Amino acid sequence: MTFMCSKAARGGYFWLFFSFISALSVLLPRVAAAAETVPVEAMEWWVWIVLLFVFSFCLGIVAVIAGVGGGVLYVPIVSSLFPFHLDFVRGAGLMVALAGALSAGAPLLNKGLANLRLALSMALIGSVSSIFGALVGLALPAHIVQLALGGTILFISFVMLTAKKSEFPDVKPDKLSQILHIQGIYYEESLKKDIDWQIHRTPVGLVLFILIGFMAGMFGLGAGWANVPVFNLVLGAPLKVSVATSVFVLSINDTAAAWVYLHKGAVLPLIAVPSVIGMMLGTKIGAKLLTRVKTKSVRVIVITLLTLAGLRAILKGFGI
Amino acid sequence: MSENHAHPNKAQLVYAAVLHWVSTIGIVFVIAGFAAYVFGLLPATYPIEEIAGSWHLGSAELNHLYPQPTGWSWVPDILRGDVLSFSSIVYLSAATIVCLVAVAGVFISEKNDIYTGIAILQILVLLVAASGLIGSGH
Repeated sequence: MTFMCSKAARGGYFWLFFSFISALSVLLPRVAAAAETVPVEAMEWWVWIVLLFVFSFCLGIVAVIAGVGGGVLYVPIVSSLFPFHLDFVRGAGLMVALAGALSAGAPLLNKGLANLRLALSMALIGSVSSIFGALVGLALPAHIVQLALGGTILFISFVMLTAKKSEFPDVKPDKLSQILHIQGIYYEESLKKDIDWQIHRTPVGLVLFILIGFMAGMFGLGAGWANVPVFNLVLGAPLKVSVATSVFVLSINDTAAAWVYLHKGAVLPLIAVPSVIGMMLGTKIGAKLLTRVKTKSVRVIVITLLTLAGLRAILKGFGI
Repeated sequence: MSENHAHPNKAQLVYAAVLHWVSTIGIVFVIAGFAAYVFGLLPATYPIEEIAGSWHLGSAELNHLYPQPTGWSWVPDILRGDVLSFSSIVYLSAATIVCLVAVAGVFISEKNDIYTGIAILQILVLLVAASGLIGSGH
C-alpha cells in the first residue's frame, strides 16, 4: 500500500512537472513574441516582476530535480520569455547562480563533500577568465552574444545527454596535485564507509577551468554543467565531491564576473532580486521533492527545454 | 602539513562558518532592500515605471537615459530604495571576499605557504574586479 501510494505520488509529481514544462515549451515562442511586440506599458511592471518571481521559483524546483544549476536554465529561458534585454538577464543569471552557491556552500563544506583545496586551486584561474568573459560578453553586440549563447546551450544539452559519470574513479595522483595536497576522505552514506580520494591530470583541469570561467562570465551562466564532468571525469574526484565542490567553485567564479556586470550597470535590482529570491525558494522546495520524483524523466524534459531555448536564442540572434 | 583528512580541516570549517553567517545576512538584506524599493518605503532615484519601460534596452542605453549605480559612486545615496536594493546585491558579491580573508588568516596561522599564496591571490583578483579598475563605466 505504501509502495503504491508513493508510486502514485511520484507519478503525480512527474506529470505536474511534465505539464509545467510542456506548457512552457508551447507558450515559450508565443509569449516571447508578445513580449517583444506589446509595449511594456500595456502590462503593469509589477505583473512582470510577479511572473518573474513565480517563474524563477518553478525553475528552481526543476533545476534541483534535474541536477543542474539555476543559471544555465535561467538565462536562455528568461531571455526568451520576458521583455528584458539580454544584458540584464545575464547579470541576473549570475546573481541567481551566485546566491544559490552561497546558500548551499556552507553545509557542503561542513559535511566534507566540497573540498576547499580543490576548489581554491581551480577557482583562482577560473575567476580571472570569468572576468575576461564578462568583459567580452558585454562588449559584443547582443545578436552575436545570442548566437553564441544558443550554440553554447545546445552544446550543454549535448553534454548533459552524453556525459558519463563515475562514482569512484580509479586515480593515480599526479605531481601537481601532490604538491597542492589535493586529497580527502568523505563519508559515503550508501556504503556506510569513508571513501579516500585523490585527483590526477591537474594541469589539464586547470586549462579547462580557464574555458569554463570564460563561458560562465560571458553568458552569465552558472557553470555546474561543465565543472562536474571536469572534476569527475578529467580530475577523477568522486561524483559527490565533484558536485559539491562545483557549487563552491561557482561562488568564487561568479563573484568575479558579477563585479564586472555591477560596474557596467548591467544588474537591475528590479530583475535580479525577484529572480534570486524565487530561485532560492524553489531550490529548497525542489530539494524536498527530490526523493519523490523520477529525476531521470525530469532531466530528459530539461534537456529538451534547453535544446528549444538554445534554438530560440539562435533564431533571435539571426533576427528571426 | 600532515593532517587528518577524515573530517573537514580547520580552514574548511572556518570558511563554512563565515559563509553561513554572511549568506544568511545577505538573504535578509536582499529581501529587506527590495521591499523598501518596490513598496516605496524609501524614495527611488527614478520612478519604477520609467525603469520598467526601458528594461528592454541594453545596459549602455538604459544607463545613458537613467544612470544606474555603478562603481562605488552610489554609496552616498544608500538611503534611496533602488540604491539600497542595489547595495544588497553588492553585499552578496562581496560575501566570498569576506570568507577568503577569514580562511587566509587560518592558512597564515598554520604556516601553509601554498594556500596562503593562493588565497591572497584570489582575494586580489576579486578586489581588482570589485574596485572597478577593470571594465567600469558604460
